[in-house]
Amino acid sequence: MTDVHIGDAVRRVEDQRFLTGQGNYIDDINMAGQARAAVLRSPHGHARINGIDTSRAEALDGVLLVITGRQWLAFGMGTLPTKTGVRKGRNDTDINEPPRHCMAIDTARYLGEPVAFVVAETQVIANNALELIDVDFEPLEAVSDAVKALAPGAPRLWDDIPNNLCIDFELGDLEGTEKAFAEADHVITLDLENNRVTAVPIETRGCVGSYDAATETYTLYNATQNVHANRDMFAENVLGIDKQKLHHVAPDVGGGFGAKNSAYPEPPMVLYAAKKLGRPVKWINTRSDSFLGDTHGRGQTSRVQIAINNDGTFLALRTETVGGIGAYCWTIGPFTPTGGSARTQGGPYTFPAMYYRGRAVFTNTAPMDPYRGAGRPEATFQTERIIEYACRKLGLDPVETRRKNLMPPEALPYMSPMGMDIDCGDFPLLFERTLEMAAPDTFAARADRATKAGRLFGFAIAPYLECTGGAPKEYAGVQFKEDGAVTLAVGSHSTGMGHETVLPQLLAARLGIDFDRIQFTQADTDATPIGGGHGGSRGMEVGGNAVAQAADEIIVKATPLAAHLLQSDAAKVTFADGSFSDATSGASVSMTEVIEASMDQEPGFLDTGATFERGVISIPNGCHAATVEVDPDTGAIQITGYWVMDDFGTVINPLLADGQVMGGIVQGIGQALTENIIYDDSGQLITGSLMDYGLPRADVVPNMVIDYYEGAPTKKNPLGVKGAGEAGCVGALPAVVNAVLDALKGHGVVHMDMPLTPEKVWRAIRDKGAHDPEALMRDAC
Amino acid sequence: MEDFSYQKPKTVDDAREAYSASADGLFLAGGQTILPVMKLGLAAPSAVIDLGGIEGLRAILVTDSVVSIGAMATHATVAASGDVRQAIPALSDLAGMIGDPQVRTRGTIGGSIANNDPAADYPAAVLALNATITTDKRQIAADDFFVAMFETALEEGEIITNVEFPVADAAAYAKFANPASRFALAGVFVARTGNSVRVAVTGAGTCVFRVADMEAALAKDFSATALDGITVATENLNTDIHASAEYRGHLIGVMAKRAVEAAQTKGGGK
Amino acid sequence: MPKISLTVNNKPVTQDVEGRTLLVELIREGLGLTGTHIGCDTSQCGACVVHVNGQPVKSCTMLAVQADGAEVLTVEGVSPDSGLNPIQQALHEHHGLQCGFCTPGMVMTATALLKNNPDPSEADVRHGLEGNLCRCTGYQNIVEAIMAAAKTMRS
Repeated sequence: MTDVHIGDAVRRVEDQRFLTGQGNYIDDINMAGQARAAVLRSPHGHARINGIDTSRAEALDGVLLVITGRQWLAFGMGTLPTKTGVRKGRNDTDINEPPRHCMAIDTARYLGEPVAFVVAETQVIANNALELIDVDFEPLEAVSDAVKALAPGAPRLWDDIPNNLCIDFELGDLEGTEKAFAEADHVITLDLENNRVTAVPIETRGCVGSYDAATETYTLYNATQNVHANRDMFAENVLGIDKQKLHHVAPDVGGGFGAKNSAYPEPPMVLYAAKKLGRPVKWINTRSDSFLGDTHGRGQTSRVQIAINNDGTFLALRTETVGGIGAYCWTIGPFTPTGGSARTQGGPYTFPAMYYRGRAVFTNTAPMDPYRGAGRPEATFQTERIIEYACRKLGLDPVETRRKNLMPPEALPYMSPMGMDIDCGDFPLLFERTLEMAAPDTFAARADRATKAGRLFGFAIAPYLECTGGAPKEYAGVQFKEDGAVTLAVGSHSTGMGHETVLPQLLAARLGIDFDRIQFTQADTDATPIGGGHGGSRGMEVGGNAVAQAADEIIVKATPLAAHLLQSDAAKVTFADGSFSDATSGASVSMTEVIEASMDQEPGFLDTGATFERGVISIPNGCHAATVEVDPDTGAIQITGYWVMDDFGTVINPLLADGQVMGGIVQGIGQALTENIIYDDSGQLITGSLMDYGLPRADVVPNMVIDYYEGAPTKKNPLGVKGAGEAGCVGALPAVVNAVLDALKGHGVVHMDMPLTPEKVWRAIRDKGAHDPEALMRDAC
Repeated sequence: MEDFSYQKPKTVDDAREAYSASADGLFLAGGQTILPVMKLGLAAPSAVIDLGGIEGLRAILVTDSVVSIGAMATHATVAASGDVRQAIPALSDLAGMIGDPQVRTRGTIGGSIANNDPAADYPAAVLALNATITTDKRQIAADDFFVAMFETALEEGEIITNVEFPVADAAAYAKFANPASRFALAGVFVARTGNSVRVAVTGAGTCVFRVADMEAALAKDFSATALDGITVATENLNTDIHASAEYRGHLIGVMAKRAVEAAQTKGGGK
Repeated sequence: MPKISLTVNNKPVTQDVEGRTLLVELIREGLGLTGTHIGCDTSQCGACVVHVNGQPVKSCTMLAVQADGAEVLTVEGVSPDSGLNPIQQALHEHHGLQCGFCTPGMVMTATALLKNNPDPSEADVRHGLEGNLCRCTGYQNIVEAIMAAAKTMRS
């Protein structure tokens, strides 16, 4: 019998090493004879490179190698392509994809873009050498704001790309939406900003590369979330080698949240240098450079419009978004403001018609790539903000109006106008339960107490609709060892989510074997033939189902052997709770015994590699609610309560699910209140350190109450799971912002853009909410 | 970081001599500001003279009328000192608000005021409590000490040995912190001694400063309402991404009132 | 090059260091104790927190030479001979860690916090974590774990 089950809050096995300082992160890896690398980054947002003189750097004692962009090109190195799923725009236009080299060649297009690469005996020497590289920069006019970049006469990043437009995408029913707008009692319009933020995993990126001349094979240890996909790009696209010649491994990775998904430029340079020098090369990013060169997220300016009747019935939703994606098409950069933000528009409400237009625009800023949610937080924010705003404008009750328009369970399955196959769930139930947890009957007393203390009480509820994403296929390999150990290798990737615990938990529960015997491997291109890594809340949905499928295949293989041991017929033997039994004879044999028997008969017979492929993406959903208190004298906000009901389908390990939700919410709170990436007009980053970029700390976040609805497991996959990783971030933005605006309703404040800094709140109160709802997109719609 | 020679003298005299002998020397107190600055390459001294080895500079002595804090006393020590809390609770509170617990373990009062960061907390207490700064050469009144941003009355090579705070009848510090760095966006220290009131503001301008109008009003009536209608001119206040001068000016008023209220309720020493 | 002598996790250590060598560099590179992490370059994140003479410091903001003669304790030195100490155990039980990168700093900060205040309120704990950033957990389970550990350690 097994000691763990699906649904158990199994404590994590990886904790032991992390708690005792025995984790093995990228900077903990040192190889004999390794040299150290440093990257010279553009100090300009936009500049022509007229020449680079590396002679002084090369003359520095201990410098081993200096590479410039021109040299890199001369080595025959290829470009990194985008993997965006959206490649066609409106009117059948193609995406504009300019070449993305690992280094700037003739022009640097964002602050922090690699301009030269140095390898030296020590890090100090490498860093000193950067200062001895003389670059003849000719600063060019820059544009960091995406709406401005679209305007006629804006500086161009690419000569052959008019209006800096990467892609102009649309989805939905324009005609139906326009018709509904014409017929509705009201059309309410609101322009809003979804502020640019960055993930800031506490571990910065880094890698250690080596080359074995005898086998002509590279090895790359890399703090990445995606070893297989990035191996392919580094090997085939950049270095021009067979992918079998690059062994890509991620050690323990200290957080990612999307910012370690991308194919970054530094690893190929490290690999090139390792081969050239015949010794391992190590590169570890600094926090300061992480702000410049790590991918950013969100950063959208939108016009959202709702068609709504006097009785609060929603008729249509229309959103037009402009998203700055940086200077290049990063790994899936163009997808987020286009397809990524379109899909879950409208949330769990009935909108008979919807239309979305998203333009991805080149800007002189750091690259844009996934950040926790990648489009769904944006869509949810747009939907929930326009609903709240319309309620305020029309004097409708926000709770009642939402309740009225939620899709009823009997309407499911439902194909949304945005093409989402919403198969199951109970949105009204989750809404009511969340409301119940927040205890609205206590609000009057709480508001009263706040008023007595000179503060303003506010509440908001925010249902959300999510969808999974990321690579659709996943592999799980199980091997049984003679000593009783079981190895499980999976191509999905945990950077903190706990796969090392939950995937063995799943295997142990499914097979009824000892959890402790399972040894887990991930993030190694030699360990699994394929791997989709991390992203899109796919861990349980795709990785978990691959494990479940492997377990099921093992059971099938083991059944004849069990029948033999039971002296029965395979057709009569059934498997349940870790044992095979023959109902007729009443005899049974455990899976563990069958595995042991297989070792005697045919070792390896039960070893199984299973590939699971998702058919249709899942639809996690749920509801957030928050209460806040605002100090009107200073504008300071305190979140005083936070409640969530999530429908993730089957919850394999609720402890780990809680962790995902809490972390996601707090990242959302950070974006809503303090985090902000600000560039000036010349492309200089104003918030480039933790002194200026406000990450949430322990003393500003609330306790969160989280519960799950498991009454609607999806039939889209055998486990019935829907994905949990990003949902917290998806629901938090509107819950927090709308609660603050609720607190300020007595002052006439109807809208503020994130982050809701104390000064912004104070000004909004002082200005009695004076606000132009069409200020941001007037020139872009 | 560029390398440097490191010395840890045992006396103030030896420290002064080591400094004079160096081409480009730098005194190291707690290091919580200067080490990050050096790590970013914004300072590169040839010699670092660590004041941490000098006996006696960490002493905290409290009498009925004076709290004397050695220049190398850490923020954590000051915050935890029962004697200081009994005499000037506002000073303990302020020390406990500086940076974070780890910064408070290392950071010192001498280092803080010698650096005179415009957003540091201690300068507000020193100025409002009318403290006297003692150096190896002389005594300097708080009003003369803080000159401009990152600039003090200290001469080249002069070493702070201690800071003497007269015990006030009532005092409190109210700080509105920058959510990212946790430095003061505006911090106001209010101290009343007899009929005299001093109000010092940090974080809002280029250097800690007093607000004469507030002091005069509070001298007549030490209550928050006495500050109604008093505004601080904003033309010399800081504007940055975190707060405009206008907002900082507003915050000074709010924080001053809160400091006065706190001083009235719990700000009295023994 | 200054030669310094100190104890690290109760073991005497003598090392030649440059003046500029940071304590965290000595710990990670000089002594190979890689449990102490570096997460930023502006003394904000707290991944590098160790104890010097029993008090928490950011080892990225202290010179190694300043630890001459000191007792340094790192995350590698806080566990009992087998198993976890009450703070580590509580973090494990309460899922107070995810990627684990900030965890050593959290363990060291929590250890100092409970030494200085064995019966903290939740607000005390949250305030006490002001110098430690975590991007995964949202802090709630860390706070719960420290409160639980305090209870265990008091009994």
